[in-house]
Parts: sequence; C-alpha cells; structure tokens
Amino acid sequence: MKLILSTSNLMTSGGHSVIRQPTGEKSNVELINSLRSNFLAAQQLLAVETTTTTTPRWTRETEDGLYIPAIDFAEHGLAEERAQYDITVKLFYLPGIPVSRRCAHTREAIDLVLKELHVDSIDLLIVSFPGILFDAEDDSEEEVASDTGSEEPDDFDSMIRTWRVLEDLQEKGMIAQLGVAEFGSERLARFLPHTKVKPSVDQINLKDCCVVPKSLILYAKQEQIQLLTHNDCMDILPIGTTRELLGPGEKGVGILASTPDAENGIQGDVEPQWVVKYTAVVKDRGVVENKGYFALADMGSCVKPHP
Amino acid sequence: MGLLALGTALDWPEAKKRADQVRKWGIEQLLANWRRAKGKERDALLWGDEVEYLVVAVDDKAKKARLSLAQAEILKSLAEDEANWKSGGSNIQIKEHDGEDPPHFHPEFGRFMLEATPGRPWGIDFKDLLKVESNMKWRREIAKTHMAPNEYPITLTTFPRLGTKDDYIQPYYPPSGAALRSQFVPDEIANPHIRFPTLAANIRSRRGRKVELNVPVFKDTNTSQPFHDPTVNYDLHNWPEDDDVRNGAAKEGHVYMDAMAFGMGSCCLQITFQSKNMTEGRKLYDQLSPLGPILLALTAATPIYKGFLVDTDVRWNQIGKAVDDRTREELGEAPLENDRWRIPKSRYASNSTYLSQDPRMRKEYLDPGLIVDEDIKKRLIEGGMDELLATHFAHLFIRDPLVIFSEDLEELDLNKADHFENLQSTNWQHMRFKPPPPEKDDIGWRVEFRSMEIQMTDFENAAFSIFIVLITRAILSFDLNFYIPIQRTTENMETAHARNAVLDQRFYFRKDPFSPRTRRPHLQSSSTSEVSSATSSAVNTPPPSPPLNPVESEYELMTISDIVNGSADGSFPGLIPLVESYLNSVNVDVETRCFLASYLDLIRKRATGTLWTGARWIREFVASHPAYKHDSVVSEEICYDLVKAVEEMSVKEGKDGSVGWELLRGKK
Repeated sequence: MKLILSTSNLMTSGGHSVIRQPTGEKSNVELINSLRSNFLAAQQLLAVETTTTTTPRWTRETEDGLYIPAIDFAEHGLAEERAQYDITVKLFYLPGIPVSRRCAHTREAIDLVLKELHVDSIDLLIVSFPGILFDAEDDSEEEVASDTGSEEPDDFDSMIRTWRVLEDLQEKGMIAQLGVAEFGSERLARFLPHTKVKPSVDQINLKDCCVVPKSLILYAKQEQIQLLTHNDCMDILPIGTTRELLGPGEKGVGILASTPDAENGIQGDVEPQWVVKYTAVVKDRGVVENKGYFALADMGSCVKPHP
Repeated sequence: MGLLALGTALDWPEAKKRADQVRKWGIEQLLANWRRAKGKERDALLWGDEVEYLVVAVDDKAKKARLSLAQAEILKSLAEDEANWKSGGSNIQIKEHDGEDPPHFHPEFGRFMLEATPGRPWGIDFKDLLKVESNMKWRREIAKTHMAPNEYPITLTTFPRLGTKDDYIQPYYPPSGAALRSQFVPDEIANPHIRFPTLAANIRSRRGRKVELNVPVFKDTNTSQPFHDPTVNYDLHNWPEDDDVRNGAAKEGHVYMDAMAFGMGSCCLQITFQSKNMTEGRKLYDQLSPLGPILLALTAATPIYKGFLVDTDVRWNQIGKAVDDRTREELGEAPLENDRWRIPKSRYASNSTYLSQDPRMRKEYLDPGLIVDEDIKKRLIEGGMDELLATHFAHLFIRDPLVIFSEDLEELDLNKADHFENLQSTNWQHMRFKPPPPEKDDIGWRVEFRSMEIQMTDFENAAFSIFIVLITRAILSFDLNFYIPIQRTTENMETAHARNAVLDQRFYFRKDPFSPRTRRPHLQSSSTSEVSSATSSAVNTPPPSPPLNPVESEYELMTISDIVNGSADGSFPGLIPLVESYLNSVNVDVETRCFLASYLDLIRKRATGTLWTGARWIREFVASHPAYKHDSVVSEEICYDLVKAVEEMSVKEGKDGSVGWELLRGKK
C-alpha cells in the first residue's frame, strides 16, 4: 500500500515550518514539522466536526493509496492566472530506491503537484539524486553511502537514465526547464555531453554562499547554467522518521504499527520512495503563494511491480 | 518632496480663510481618484528608495566644515546632465550601470540638501536587488562631480553645528530673517522656492509663535549643571517672536532650537512600495507600521544638535517639533475657543490609523482618541468609501493646508490631485498610504515607510532598504500579523529616542506573528470515497473561531535583538529568520544570496550590538577626540574631523580597519 503524505500550504499554516534558529543549519525540520502540524490540524478539525453518524476519518483511502491527511483536490489551485506564477518543483529521489522506479515516481510526484496547484505544467523541475554532497571547499562532490548501506551510491549511468525520463516530460511540455542539485563543475562537465536538454539550473546547498568555487562559477556561466541556492536537507526523509511520524509513539499519529509486525497499526515495512517540494511564486511581486511537500512511502512489500 | 507649481502663495491670514475650500476640493479629488483607482489590480511590485544628502564644504586650511547652500546650482548642473543624457549626448552612462537610467535628483527643504532616487523604480527580480547599492554609490559619485572640489555629499542625518554662532554656512548669511525669524539660522538656509519659506512662515503664524525644539543635552562629566543653552540670545528685539525665549521657550537642561530647518533639514532614508492593489497596500501599511519604531532605533544616527551632544539618538521628534503648527488651544495649553479640537500629535509624527479590512484587525487596536473631521468622513462615506479608509483621510484632513497658491483656487479639477496632495503631503506620518496619481495610469497604490535615519555609507543604506523590501515579501508570503494597539507604536516611537535604545530599551511587539491556519485540510467521511457535493459543502462550513484572548496578552515588551533575531526560547521567530525562510522558498542565485547575506548580517549584528549604530559611533568619535572637553560641546574642529571621517567612511566602508569598522564590520 502506498502512503501519500502531504503538508498542505506551508505559507499559511501558522509558521511551523519557519526555522527559528538563524544558524544556517540545513535541516529537514521544515518537512517534518509541517507534516506533523498538518496531521495535527486535520485531526483537530475532525474532533470539532464530528457531527455525522458515520465516523469521519482524517485520512482517505483511494486507488492511489492512503492520503495522510485526506486531500480534496477540487479545492486547491492558485489565486491568479497560471502565467503570473513561477512554479518550481524539486524532486528528491531517496537513497536505496531502485533507479528502475524513477520513471513512475517522477510521473507520480509531478501529477500530484499539478493536481494540487490546478496547473498543467511546471516551470522548473530540479532533481536531487541521493548520495551527492556538494562541498564548497574543494568543488568535488563526495559520494556518500546511503543510510541503509546496502545500495551502491547513485552512479552516473543511473543519473543519465533518469535524465532521459525528464527530457521526455520536458518534450511533452509538462516542464519548461530542468535542473540538477549539488553538481560540482567536474560532474557537470561529465554530465552535459550526455544530455539532449541541458540543465538550466544547478542548485547548491551552501552554508556560506560566499564561498562558491570559482571553477564552478566560471563553468556555469560558460554553459549558461544558473547557480541557485537552497537550504534543503540531504537526507530529507529517513526511514526511521517516517515510522516515527506515522507510528503510535508520542510523536506519531498512530497509523503505522510500532514495528513491522506489531499489532498496534498498519503492519509491514515502511519504505519512503520520494519527496517532492513545490513552490508557486507570483513572478512580478516575489510573493510565495503556495509551498508544500508530498512524500510517498510504500508499505509492506519493498518490491513493487513497475513497468 | 513633490514639487512645484509656482504662483502667488497666500500668507497665513489669507490661507486660513481658504483652508475649508482646499480641504473640500481635496476630498472631492480624493473621491474621484479613489473611484477611478480602487479597482486597479495586479500591479507589479515596484519600489524606490530616497537617499538624502547634506552638501558639506570642507575648508582644510581653517579646519572647518560648513554647509554649502549651493543646492540650486548643483541641481541645475545635474539637470543639464540629465537632459544631455536623454538626448544621447552625454557620457554619464558608464558600463557598470549599463541599462540603468541615470538617477534623479530633487530639491529638499534645506538649501544645503539634495535628494536622489534611482532613475527607474526597482522590481523584485533578485538581480535588481544587487544593483541598489552600486546605484546609490553612483548617485553619490554623480552628485560629487557637480559640486565644487571641496564639497561632498555627506549622509549624516543632521549637520552637527547647524545653528551655532559661527559661520557654519557658505555663503554666510546672518540669522533673524522675516520668514523663519530664527535667532540661529537665516531665511537663506531654506530652499528659496516660494513654497518653502511660505511653509515655514505659515507654520509659525498658525502656531502663533516660533516652533520650539528642546532636546535634552547629554550630561558629560564637565557639562555645566544646571545646563542653560549658552547660545540662546535673550536680548534680541528684531521680531515679536524674539519674545519666545523671554517667555521660557528654552528649557533648562536642553539644547534649544527655533526653526523648521532644524527638523526638515534632516536626512532620511525612505522606501516606497507599489502594491498589487488597494487591499494589499492597506495590508502593508498596517503591517509595516509597528516596524517603524524598531527600524528607527536600529538606524539611530543623530546624537548631535547645534554643537552639543544630546541625550537622544534619533531625529524623529525634532522634525515633529520643527513643523508643529498646532496652536495653544490645539496643544491643550489654552481652553478651546477658536479651534475645533485638541490634537495630540504634530503633523510629523507616528501614524495613528490602521487601514486594512483584515479580519485579524481588532477594533481594540485602533486609537480610541483619534481626532477625525466628522463632516469629511461623512462625505467620504456618502461617496462610497468604507469606514476605515474614510476615517484615515478624515483624520489627515483635520489639518489646515499650509501653502495655498491663489491661482489654484479658481476652478476645481477632478482630474488632478493638487488639493488632496496639499494635505496628504504635509501629513508627515511614519507611514504614508498613497493613492495612484490621477494623471499616471501606470502607477498603482503605494505605501511609504518613512521612519529610518540615513546611514553614513551606501552599504548600510542599501542593506536597510533591501531588508524592508524583503520584510514586505515575507509579510505577504507568510501572511504575517504584527498588529498591536496603535498607541503602543506611538509609545515605541518615543522609546526609540533614548540614547542607545537599540540595546537598552524594550519595545512592544506582537508575540506570535503567524495567523492561524487559513486553509483547512479536507476531510472525507469514511463511508464514502467519492466526493459528493453534499458532503463537501457540509465540511466547508468554517469551524467556529476560537474565542479571542485579551488584546494585552497578544504583545509584550521585547528587545530589538529578540524582534530582529528571534527570542532565545524560540517563541518569537525573528524578522531575519522570517526573511531567510522566505529566501529559502524562492529561487535566488548564489551571487545575490551572498550579497543579501551580508546585508542581513549587518542588521542582525546591529540588533545584538556586535555592530554599533551610527549614533553610538559618532558619540565615541566625539568622546575620543583630543579636542573634546567632556562638556558636551562638539567644536568646529571636532565637527571638521567628523565630517572628514564620515566622508572617508563612505568610500572605504570600514575595510581593513579603516574608519567606521565598528559599525560596519565589527573587527579591524
């Protein structure tokens, strides 16, 4: 079974996502806090509104999976015409998930965002491959082993294969521009010759953004790739965190069992598949109207049949 | 300052007779314009900064710095350059500013002042934000090239020795002229355009005596006790107003000043934003209002008046006093007989109204003692305006128009805004809500943020300008709520005056700037997985709103560091973390983010005290000057060295341990 976690619009959700300590710590606090607060809000509203005889639930099961919390896509959308917005989507492929699933995952993630915002295309899709860390000091990204330790780091071929999927979507008009994250100049130089559609953006996480390596600045300029900054966490949704959020513990919402075979909730292994972040910014006013996350986790079987 | 039709300016007795007509016509113009523009939508964010300069002439031989009254010549020469540029025949366009229109220069009240604005308003494209500082520097360079070699554009709020006995202006004119009747400054200190001397004279006439500024002196170890301003002349008999000091206008323990030039001769940093529509403009007006005193304290830069260190750090109240046209009756010093009401604030003061029809705006936030012209309010409401906005303008219109040109009273032109602007632009509150000008279709509703003091370097001026812009974006994006009762903002404004208020004082601020969740998560009944219209309408009923807490529990006294950087316990997030959260939600390129980081860092450290305010730096400069006798007196020699240091700072910006590192970098 799929679990579809969502935050709703962070901009209007009472500030739980605002990182309060200005230490520049990169963190997945934003995602975790806003998921938690969205779950809580949904439960609280339910408590207020239990007027019908049938017991309403704050989650909703559909053929797509279990929405946590329930989403009524009919209600969303942007306030103004599509042309007024810059819509940026960042897709985090998670460590340890087979590359073969990415085609489906990409479609799945983008479809959710399009449905949420009531649009039929996005302006920029940035993909974040697991296991790449940008290091401003020496401009050589490190490859770190994923948490599970059982998978190989995201190898170059798999990135190229994934990129093909994105190029297809771009060709179909669903995405205007593509971008990568944490690429140093060497990796970019290796990557570009294999692309039909060049990335227009390289998004890097910098503790102190004034120390970007010169080689990267020059190379990006030459290739007309925009260097953007971000503050996202590398390991955005660890497996343990998902169970903590959804399990019966103090910080959880009691949907999942405390362990795969415990009987205090849905049983089975939980395996986060991807996380997607979306922002809709009113272009000529610089106002962030909508920002949120979806995260998808599989329950039970890790091996899913995918075309 | 908006200028400037010429004509026959009425002196006060005549102007007073026509005041009602100007107000009535102004209100009709406002209504016509409001009807035309209230539906304006989707205007882009455009914004502009205004930087004001003192023109200071440095005399290295005599070791003196004097204010130069060369405004007119400098502006003329600047205007010729601009005309040249427009006709394509100038070399003013240099590569660094490719694509930027050359800046505009404007006259100001003081004949020793210049104001400069960018040639074109800024947008929100982050690349635009990068141009602000270099554009400010460019303005300074251009201004300098139109001055004499020994003259400099200096961004001090006030000239330290304005109004002293020596020759602090060039060319020199003796004080005690017909318009200002000041015993310290000549009429020639003001811009000679008829508007300015008339403004000063009519304020004085309406008030019935000279304006009166008493600023507490800073009591140093050798300052005489009690302190009687030694520069006051009690034996002058040129004008009836010379009696003012004999009637006790000069207070013990204070530096006394008596003319509009002491206030309106101050330099400020003002930011104007265009909003998407009227609703957004009204929201920004309200939300920025509580930030006014905070930014005033953060930008404090005014510790010297008339050659004395004073015990306040900012210019604000001095300007308020310098244009205070209230009569004794309006001030509450005499029983109300001829005037209509007592008025608690000067025309130049913190704002007194909230404008937004925001459900979060509780009526408890409004000033219960607000003075309003009820007839005007009635007329505006009859004309279709809502209560809040009508109240705002009916409040501004309790004032008299000060400068009236008889030619303008012949016919009412509803396609103009001159009579409206007559009142609007002489209400100098710390926020200003500006309707679109009727003659320009491409300009929308705007809000002006007016409390900040000018900073000595363009780095600082750019930092504060951009900080305010980013705060507005965070306000709109996060739907922030900074509402506190407006009287608390008035009190905060007073608090901001205290010496070293930025570190030593606490300010009323709202504890939780976030609004409760506005979008509800969507619920489904478990019995059905398809959405039926019946259930969706049922769950669409908004939940009952929780009972509101007492207004007093919504705010508390906070330090500026907590307001800016967030409180240690995390209960208040802090303005800078809010701005950073906003920046993390938009696509910002690496170079821009680096610039923005340096600006935010300056403000963060000003708030904690790691970096000094301009006021503190100037105090330390004076205190450590070898010629300073710890008697509060800022001598000509100290003033000269101070101006030289400020000039150097505007170029070197404290780099490598150069002058000013304490307020710009924090380390040598």
